Amino acid sequence: MALFGRRNVLLVLLVAAVLAPQFVNTYHLFVANLILVYVLLSIGLNILVGYAGQLAFANAAMFGIGAYGTGLLQVHFGWPFWLAFPTGAVIATSVGLAISLPALRLSGLYLALSSLAFAQFTQWVFLHWESVTFGAGGFKTPTVSFAPLPVSKPIGLYYLSLILAVALFLLAQNLVRSRLGRAFVAVRDGEVAAQSLGIDLLRYKALAFGISGFYAGIAGGIYSAMLNFVSPEGYDLFQMVLHKAMIVVGGLGSIAGSVLGAGAIVGLLEALREVKGIQEIAFGAILVIFILFMPGGLIAFLKTRVPGWEEPLHRRGRGDAPTVSTTPATKVVRP
Amino acid sequence: MLLLSYLLLSGVTTGALYALVALGIVVVNKATGVINFAHGELFMFSGFVAWTLHVQMGVMYPVALPLAVAAGFLLGALTDRIAFRPLIKADVISLVLATVGIAFVLRGLARVIWGGKGDYLSFPPITSPEPVMIGEIMVIPQQLAVLAGAIVVMLAFAAFFRLTRAGKMMQATADNSKAATLVGIRTARIYTLSFGTGAAIAAAAAVLMAPLTLLYPDMGFSFFIKGFAAAVLGGLTSLPGAVLGGLIIGVIEALAGGYIHSSFIEVSAFVVIMLVLVVRPTGLLGAGRLRRV
Repeated sequence: MALFGRRNVLLVLLVAAVLAPQFVNTYHLFVANLILVYVLLSIGLNILVGYAGQLAFANAAMFGIGAYGTGLLQVHFGWPFWLAFPTGAVIATSVGLAISLPALRLSGLYLALSSLAFAQFTQWVFLHWESVTFGAGGFKTPTVSFAPLPVSKPIGLYYLSLILAVALFLLAQNLVRSRLGRAFVAVRDGEVAAQSLGIDLLRYKALAFGISGFYAGIAGGIYSAMLNFVSPEGYDLFQMVLHKAMIVVGGLGSIAGSVLGAGAIVGLLEALREVKGIQEIAFGAILVIFILFMPGGLIAFLKTRVPGWEEPLHRRGRGDAPTVSTTPATKVVRP
Repeated sequence: MLLLSYLLLSGVTTGALYALVALGIVVVNKATGVINFAHGELFMFSGFVAWTLHVQMGVMYPVALPLAVAAGFLLGALTDRIAFRPLIKADVISLVLATVGIAFVLRGLARVIWGGKGDYLSFPPITSPEPVMIGEIMVIPQQLAVLAGAIVVMLAFAAFFRLTRAGKMMQATADNSKAATLVGIRTARIYTLSFGTGAAIAAAAAVLMAPLTLLYPDMGFSFFIKGFAAAVLGGLTSLPGAVLGGLIIGVIEALAGGYIHSSFIEVSAFVVIMLVLVVRPTGLLGAGRLRRV
């Protein structure tokens, strides 16, 4: 394994993340926690878009459903965070599974637009179902307590996010290497071909949507606890473009790339916090520039320039495994 | 009766504007097979250009309108050059994401130039805003002017598409781009022309709409969704279908807003999109053949 290979760099990042709370101030801890939330979102979305090839725009809505689910269960029913949080994630997962049903009939542009309409519908529900969601003003959630453990809320939440992010990162890594992940790639590269190989499209598309809904729901639950506040604005179209920018900058069809993309985008988001006006311009332009000039994202650059970044499916020299492309194959889809 | 006639007229008026937005979406989709996700932002941006010309620089409304339409055409052609032509061989995901990127750049630019979140610019009315009673029916001259303008734009576009050489080349490319290339049509130029024309129609809609409502940077997306709902309802490749779809969406919205609750105005379009795509993906006037969606 090369010195600056994927595993070593990720391990160093992990060690840095574990030790970080000892050295940084509250604001930097908040940013680090934000990165972990976005890592979860980015991995979930990349499984859906980058691996399964389903271009859906409902990720920000799933994120919102996770946050609202976690927050509202605590506020309305007085549930403890430890119960509301997983339930919120389960709600997001089931909504993800539910919106996958039209996805069986729709693909490409139609899926993109119907999921965009669904995301706006979710926003509308957050805004107008005032008796439950408290409308445009949002609502405060109770502060999470890590009572038996001797840690403050920001640090406890940070380690909770870190544990979840690492666990779900490893889960995703294994998942995309498994039969399931290869089925996703097959669906992406050719639905008819995949079907003729005995892959049940309904089942695998639904699974991809469910998995991305689960990741977004977990991220939403943590995010609501981080801010102690939930409002519709946090889950709008701008979030959508942030999520898309993360997976494009990191690299479509790469779990490690999702982590890099999330880090890069959150870093930029914080750097541009002073000049809010140009955030939309910056992230829109990043999306266009990466698609035009670096279609494989950061991970493609690392894979070609730095030894040790090839992902498992690309590993050469074994002779027994055929090389499977994990980046979308270019294909002519139009006249 | 008074309420119903008022709702129907205002529904038809906004519906005519949705129809124009939908026409732009259909023109681009027919020629290139893709949907320009920046379409709503092109609409919004052209509206602001008209505002700057008319309100800030004092250009007369009948002059500001064609200038804004020209600006819309240029923006549309630019979208083609940035996000469609270089990606013509890439997969559809890259293409959609690139147009989404452009949409956000335009939206951010509009915010920087014309005002931030929650800032609304008003456009002076072109006719008297006082309602007029014709028998039992209340008519607002402003709405009639907008409706007439929308009909003129539709007729002008139909004439361009049917009668001019450029329009016929667009039809040929839409029918069969390979055959069009064979007979010497430069299809790449036709794609640029289609993106430009689509955006120009949207620009006309924006300038017609501006005196009726207010201008704000976030309006592009909501008009895009409504225009898309109209286009999908009409079948996505049918120009008369887009007009019909636009009118239906406009009337549904007005009735839902008048008889149920004003918040239902926003949601009707989403419901229509989801229902049509799941139940009848070919729309009302779409081709009879089974189409992969």
